[in-house]
Amino acid sequence: MDAIVSKYTRPVAGPLEGLRSGGERKSAFDFELPSIDRPAAFLRAHTDDATNPDARIKIQHGTTTLSFKFQGGIVVAVDSRATAGNWVASQSVKKVLEINPYLLGTMAGGAADCQYWERWLGSQCRLHELRNKERITVSAASKILANVMYHYKGAGLSMGTMICGYSKQDKPEIFYVDSDGSRVPGHLFCVGSGQTFAYGVLDQGYRWDLSVDEALALGKRAILAATHRDAYSGGSVNLYHIKSEGWVYHGNYDVGTEIWKVKEEEGSFNDIRT
Amino acid sequence: MDILIGLQTANEVILVTSRAISRGVSVLKHDDNKVVKLNSYTAMAYSGEPGDVSNFAEYIQANVALYGLRHGIEMTPNSVAAFTRSELARSLRTRKPYQVNLLIGGFHPREAKPMLAWVDYLGSKVDLPYAAHGYAAYYITATLDRYWKKGLTLEQGLKLAAQCVSELQTRMPIDFKGCDVHIVGKSGIQSADLPPIVVAPGVANKPSEATLASA
Amino acid sequence: MSGYDRALSVFSPDGHVFQVEYAKEAVKRGTCAVAVKGKEVVVLGAERRSALKLHDTRTTPSKLCKVDEHVTLAFAGLSADARILLDKARVQAQSTKLTLEDPVSVEFITKYVAGVQQKYTQSGGVRPFGISTLIAGFDPNDRTPQLYYTEPSGIYSAWKANAIGRSSKTVRELLEKNYEPDMDEEQTLRLAVKSLLEVVQTGVKNIEIAVMRPGQPMDIVDAERLDAVVTSIEAEKAEAEAKAKARPVRREP
Repeated sequence: MDAIVSKYTRPVAGPLEGLRSGGERKSAFDFELPSIDRPAAFLRAHTDDATNPDARIKIQHGTTTLSFKFQGGIVVAVDSRATAGNWVASQSVKKVLEINPYLLGTMAGGAADCQYWERWLGSQCRLHELRNKERITVSAASKILANVMYHYKGAGLSMGTMICGYSKQDKPEIFYVDSDGSRVPGHLFCVGSGQTFAYGVLDQGYRWDLSVDEALALGKRAILAATHRDAYSGGSVNLYHIKSEGWVYHGNYDVGTEIWKVKEEEGSFNDIRT
Repeated sequence: MDILIGLQTANEVILVTSRAISRGVSVLKHDDNKVVKLNSYTAMAYSGEPGDVSNFAEYIQANVALYGLRHGIEMTPNSVAAFTRSELARSLRTRKPYQVNLLIGGFHPREAKPMLAWVDYLGSKVDLPYAAHGYAAYYITATLDRYWKKGLTLEQGLKLAAQCVSELQTRMPIDFKGCDVHIVGKSGIQSADLPPIVVAPGVANKPSEATLASA
Repeated sequence: MSGYDRALSVFSPDGHVFQVEYAKEAVKRGTCAVAVKGKEVVVLGAERRSALKLHDTRTTPSKLCKVDEHVTLAFAGLSADARILLDKARVQAQSTKLTLEDPVSVEFITKYVAGVQQKYTQSGGVRPFGISTLIAGFDPNDRTPQLYYTEPSGIYSAWKANAIGRSSKTVRELLEKNYEPDMDEEQTLRLAVKSLLEVVQTGVKNIEIAVMRPGQPMDIVDAERLDAVVTSIEAEKAEAEAKAKARPVRREP
């Protein structure tokens, strides 16, 4: 008996520990890094950026995304152009990632990084729901993403996203999360190469008591402004409205037709002569 | 570049922090709070590499809270500062060091004494009567050298803080969207308002053509 | 000696894990602890062993322990084991807050504590924790009192009021008889003290009581307030006894 006991007996309990930074390790960290010395340096050497436009591998970049809180919830609007260097790779990219029926994430920076990690976030949120029998808060969801971004800081990930949704207390929440590991709560953000143009319209037209229709129109208009001036933004606008019951998709608007409509209605875009 | 200023008065420490968060060409947030409460009598102002700052601040906050729960007594501001410094020094020798600069303001309830520690990402720690980090330090250390006196009242301290912010608003080429003020004293940590900030006299009192002509 | 209680990972042929049952025995020998939920309040109480004459009691840890500002844990059993389990819970509470932003819910930390206890019934080279716990408090932004119970096997359950440790059966029966829903703080406190006095003969000197209120840290009830409650309970008892004596004995014809 004792022989069997000693054979299958081995200590498992570790010593007492204090907190270490980063908290517990999750399945996310199984994500493999290339077997090279410094992934970020490798990436910089072989992919395009401002200093190295001729690199053969061109990462999809360039975007305008925005989201803001208002009296009726949250509006999320994005463009749909993907560029790789000067090449317009696609005019119909889905840059709003539907994490689950009440959480949306936007996509700016590396398309693959955003898509992979936000899909991964979706699975983490579902696991949280199953384990704790309640919806994850926007604050917790965004923090999970920010923690994993912070873990991979310096490894060359590129991501600028807004995690949008409703909290348990029925309050709208937006968190800006990026690949630096930053996580910033706020009520209005524009992210991507066209952010300045989107801010220019959104900041000036924003009011808390915007009606839902007005808010959707303003979101759409701000993206339109960015697609007009930023060469790396374009295609069409995708519009979402988030309410406490979840998000609603408000359609896809081709900027090529939208701009003429807006120009006529508003008497704006007077830089375009007809 | 974020602004962190700390100054001691006779019975308090005043921490002044800028409100803006900037990313690239845009200001991302206008009302950020760069001060974290570590326990009843210790507050920490932080600035540095995005991502590192909040992670490090929360890590320290959790450990200081854990100490309080484990021992039934809170860490003194001096031990918080020593612990924080040693964590930065430890981190400096790792592959990915925290790039965070700090001002730790505290109050010893038993000795009824305020304390201010200047800590940088290299793991240096100096206890000082007044201190600043970043570009702000280039502008206002001289101002503080000139006007700070031992045994300031809280009112005088806040006025001096406002004077520093006035200097920054006048001379620094970026807009930091104003400042938040936290006071650590015998009743714990409180936020406060600065006295009205005026344009520095050196710029506001530009002599008129008439004055110059009569000179 | 059957040989089936030499290591944990070994079942006896009739499906028992003896070490776990011995751990429950250790709990029964520990000092008593109670917890009672009221309306927007939870009261925890524990029996305190009387100290020896030369013992310096300043370092004797309390049996009502903070896990975080909003969660308190009371235990019965081996206090040396409790210290270790408590520390794990505290680290977990802070670590969860660090990764998820919000402070832990009472159920979450209970599940964790029970999980650790379970792990020590199924791993080699360890013995189970010889303690049961009562975990009470309030979830962040919630005014509903929470009370959970865990035992050495790793089972956990929610309660309106419960007792653990020495004579816990007697105390639980008293709680069952006297518990009412939605008691105010004074009534809840009274019930907790009353149930503890059932097993603590030495009275007020040897009990400690903590009150948890929504959004506030644990409040240890001071001697003065405790004295008042005990006096009033004793007065009530004496009155009831006097009444019982005065009542004429009815005889069947």
